[in-house]
Amino acid sequence: MSQKCPRKQEAEPVSRRQFLLTAGQGAGAIALAGLREKTGESAFRKPHFQPRAKNVIWLFMHGGPSHVDLFDPKPELIRHSGQPVPDSFGEVMTRRDVGNNPLLAPVKPFFPRGKSGLEISDFLPRISECADDLCVIRSMHGDSVNHPQSVYQMNTGTTLMGNPSVGSWLAYGLGSENNNMPAFVVLPDPGGGLKGGPPAWGNGYLPASYQGVTMRPGRTPILDLQPSAGITFEQQERNISLLRSLNHQFFNDSERDDELGARIAAYELAFRMQMEAPEIVSLDQESLHTQRLYGLENPQSFEFGRRCLLARRLVEQGVRIVQVYSGDTGGWDAHRNVLDNHGKYCRQIDVPVAGLLKDLRQRGLLDHTLVIWGGEFGRMPMSEQGKGRDHNPWGYSCWMAGAGIRGGRAIGSTDPIGLRAMENKVHVRDFHATILHLLGIDYRRLSFRHNGLEKRLTGPDRARVVREILT
Amino acid sequence: MEHVVAQPSLTNNEQTEHWSFLPIQVKPLPKLVQDVDASWPRNGIDFWVLSEMKKNGLRPMPQAPRRILIRRLKLDLLGLLPTTEEIREFEADESQGAYEKWVNRFLSSPRYGERQALRWLDLARFAETDGFEHDKIRAQAWRYRDWVVQALNQDLPYDLFVKFQLAGDELVPDNQAAQIATMFCMSGPDMPDINSQAERRHFLLNEMTSTMGGVFLGLQLGCAQCHDHKYDPVSQEEFYQLRAIFQSAVHVKKNQSISQLEEKRSYEKSYLMVRGDYQRPGVEVFPGFPRVLNKEEEVIKDNPSNESFTGRRSQLANWITGPDHPLTTRVLVNRLWQDHFGAGLVTTPSDFGHMGSRPSHPNLLDWLAAELVRANWSMKHMRYLMVTSSAYRQASSPRFSVEAVGSRQRWTESKGRDPENRLISRYPRRRLDGEILRDCMLQISGTLNFKMSGPGIRPPLSEEIAQTLLKDQWLVTTEEEEHTRRSVYVFSRRNLRYPFFEIFDRPDANHSCPKRNTSVTAPQALVLLNSQFSLACARRFAGRVLRDSPSDELFVRRAFRLAVGREIRDNERVKSLDYLEKQKMQKGGGNKKRDRSSYPLPLPDTMPPGPSIAYTQYCLVLFNLLEFCYSP
Repeated sequence: MSQKCPRKQEAEPVSRRQFLLTAGQGAGAIALAGLREKTGESAFRKPHFQPRAKNVIWLFMHGGPSHVDLFDPKPELIRHSGQPVPDSFGEVMTRRDVGNNPLLAPVKPFFPRGKSGLEISDFLPRISECADDLCVIRSMHGDSVNHPQSVYQMNTGTTLMGNPSVGSWLAYGLGSENNNMPAFVVLPDPGGGLKGGPPAWGNGYLPASYQGVTMRPGRTPILDLQPSAGITFEQQERNISLLRSLNHQFFNDSERDDELGARIAAYELAFRMQMEAPEIVSLDQESLHTQRLYGLENPQSFEFGRRCLLARRLVEQGVRIVQVYSGDTGGWDAHRNVLDNHGKYCRQIDVPVAGLLKDLRQRGLLDHTLVIWGGEFGRMPMSEQGKGRDHNPWGYSCWMAGAGIRGGRAIGSTDPIGLRAMENKVHVRDFHATILHLLGIDYRRLSFRHNGLEKRLTGPDRARVVREILT
Repeated sequence: MEHVVAQPSLTNNEQTEHWSFLPIQVKPLPKLVQDVDASWPRNGIDFWVLSEMKKNGLRPMPQAPRRILIRRLKLDLLGLLPTTEEIREFEADESQGAYEKWVNRFLSSPRYGERQALRWLDLARFAETDGFEHDKIRAQAWRYRDWVVQALNQDLPYDLFVKFQLAGDELVPDNQAAQIATMFCMSGPDMPDINSQAERRHFLLNEMTSTMGGVFLGLQLGCAQCHDHKYDPVSQEEFYQLRAIFQSAVHVKKNQSISQLEEKRSYEKSYLMVRGDYQRPGVEVFPGFPRVLNKEEEVIKDNPSNESFTGRRSQLANWITGPDHPLTTRVLVNRLWQDHFGAGLVTTPSDFGHMGSRPSHPNLLDWLAAELVRANWSMKHMRYLMVTSSAYRQASSPRFSVEAVGSRQRWTESKGRDPENRLISRYPRRRLDGEILRDCMLQISGTLNFKMSGPGIRPPLSEEIAQTLLKDQWLVTTEEEEHTRRSVYVFSRRNLRYPFFEIFDRPDANHSCPKRNTSVTAPQALVLLNSQFSLACARRFAGRVLRDSPSDELFVRRAFRLAVGREIRDNERVKSLDYLEKQKMQKGGGNKKRDRSSYPLPLPDTMPPGPSIAYTQYCLVLFNLLEFCYSP
């Protein structure tokens, strides 16, 4: 599957490359097995059963995109707009005490899309063109009205800090397909400030090698990947060669200790990453057509588009899971004005997301790549400050595409105003169990012993794989 | 996972007669008169270690040479490298007890508390912020870190060390240090802005109770918050009885961080929370100790005469530190053992229950536990015994041992029959923790600032990392000399571990961590080779060595000695000189401004700047030597 990109540099890199490849021989190569065992970094492990997908691209809309304005049409909400929530809906816990505020109709109209007629609002005209690929889950629900707790829950299965993220669990469970790249890569929003911070892609109590590695497009995709300015390649080559020779002597003097051997191999891996990673993240070789497909010619979608394109390239290279974040500290958190806020963010992501789906399909990658779109929760049907909406973890939408999932349909539903999940409810832990299932993992069997407990992504409670998605 | 309210019976012998719940038993030291290694033991530890080796047909490894011993010792006790002078002095000292002299010298250094505090702070899940969304700074949290450093330096007896952290405010109400010590209880993550403050408090109390159990008793109580413990004889009710002890001292106010316990007498009742759900109180419970550990049936009674304190936590602390408690002392000496021998006698240091591992040397564990009480709970005394033992002084491999004859065979047998080194038949070489690695790099570069105490300092972060934070969450400390203080003083943000530490397996501060992972990853190589921090240290290191090295020959000799504590070998010297020569000939990138960022600091007046980069890079290579990154 990994289609190699043409190399940009000429002549010189060949010897450079050869140098690094041969560098992996000898003790380093012998110890590599030990390294794999110790770090799990490159050890490919068999799934529990035949997987539907090998890779995941998770588009995470930070802040909480509004389901009632994007993917969950609610005629009743239009009908009752301006009125209070009918008593029959009972008390509802909200973050900002908006329970008694008047209902707010969807701020953009919905229309049936594609052959399937799946309804999507006018916020997302290009994604709408891919409606027949999307399986929308309209009955998602979680446990907290707060951002960080919900960001943690969506990423790690609990509202508390310090647990391994879905990506770390997948890295732990399946390993990487590429010995020179990490299994779990995160492409954060350059605006920064995810609520809850880097623990969202943390390894929790799993070994550090499973944590999400943050990357960005450009010359320095990974922290400290390149030598400091002022050190030329030739100088670095000489450094590495001296280091290798001195370390080998110590390795031999230490009776070829496994861990030391593994560390020597880690250096070899680092050199290879130094070579390969910049090439992988370089988008220059992509055709103009492809670049336009992702909206790179448009300043509004350029940034997110670049990261979507990079996500595809990473998946092509065998990275197991790539998370792409949209939204800085505020992000999709439309408390004041849904139209303005979502208008801005939809313009950033609409073309790139549609481009990603089309590109994956035309390259034959969509069949074994699971694409996930969603935030940490949705938004309330009531208004806030007139035209905004508060957080809603009680009912919201996410969608999945690819991985052989039949698109053009919606699963589950919220109540008539979109306040709570009602039919065929999908708790976050069910969502996680389903993701694992699609990757060939039985959520009950993927566990890690920590502080006396057998820990799982889905926690001690029973979860369910959402079978309807699989059919 | 049924919700059970009735107390399960405690008749199951397997559960109640589990080894760690039984009283500590001191057996007479084993006799080894006829043995070829009869003169090997130096103290009680060695008798037990040797007798287990013998049972398995093994002989101890010969002693490590002095230069290695002092490096191992100083790294272990102080987290720093021995200076060239220290190595020379020790190698030349032929008097009896020369080694012990160094042990005592190190144990009384203020650097000792700084090194050992890191270990305790892992257990205390210490950070200086709340975590979650706002990750707000707890302005006073550093005082707890300072208290730990100081308590360890003063060798506060462990029983008091425990009592202060659980109930310092009750036991010595007028003592500010004792108040600060109770920050241990509240050191975990907290979410002051969450809507439901009841949920927040519920979470805090449960977290505190579980952490207390793991750290002091080696019992994993966490699962009992939702249901009766599946493996250990601790019921859900008992969990909430323990939790009730803390209840009157934990009070939350929305949007306010808390870090200290604050005892307020109230008549609030305590309940078992069904399935650990804060909205589902079950039966009422009263403060109490788990029955399996409470053969005397001690009960907790609220202090009738004191208006401000219930005295519950003092009673808990007294119960935990009673000289006959089977767990407290065993758990502590096992932690100290892990510090010096890489793995505990029980390899699950915070789980002495049924799911934990069994001790490799039960008699030794009990001997140490009894010795702790006998020595008035002195942790320094226990460390002294461990690091002066013959077991500790063994070589890690035959080439690094004093006598060559027979050592290879012993080593081969040790590796063969004791692959995991559970019998301590050789010394386990260990990678330095990230914090120590940083300190050592600063030390060799001559820039380590030994200023103690005070709020955490923030050295610069790379732009890419700072970007992942909220605005102003890492305001770089303005005084540059503060950036090179010891790692224990680097600001500990719960949402962002200092990257250099994180990459070398510093645990996150969300759970108590009894044992760090030692991962082997490519990013570790990248950070040591390519980071601005490494380069900055290498420049200073090179500048420092160049000052007194009129020739390349002297430069490599001296730099090598500083980094790995031994003379450079001939073949190493040849390689190094050849490297320097070629590296100096190499044309730079041609960009003066960039080149300048790699010159040695200070750059000697007589040296042409272009080729000077070679010296910086040589020093950078030395930081990446395995021999540098490992305790030998």
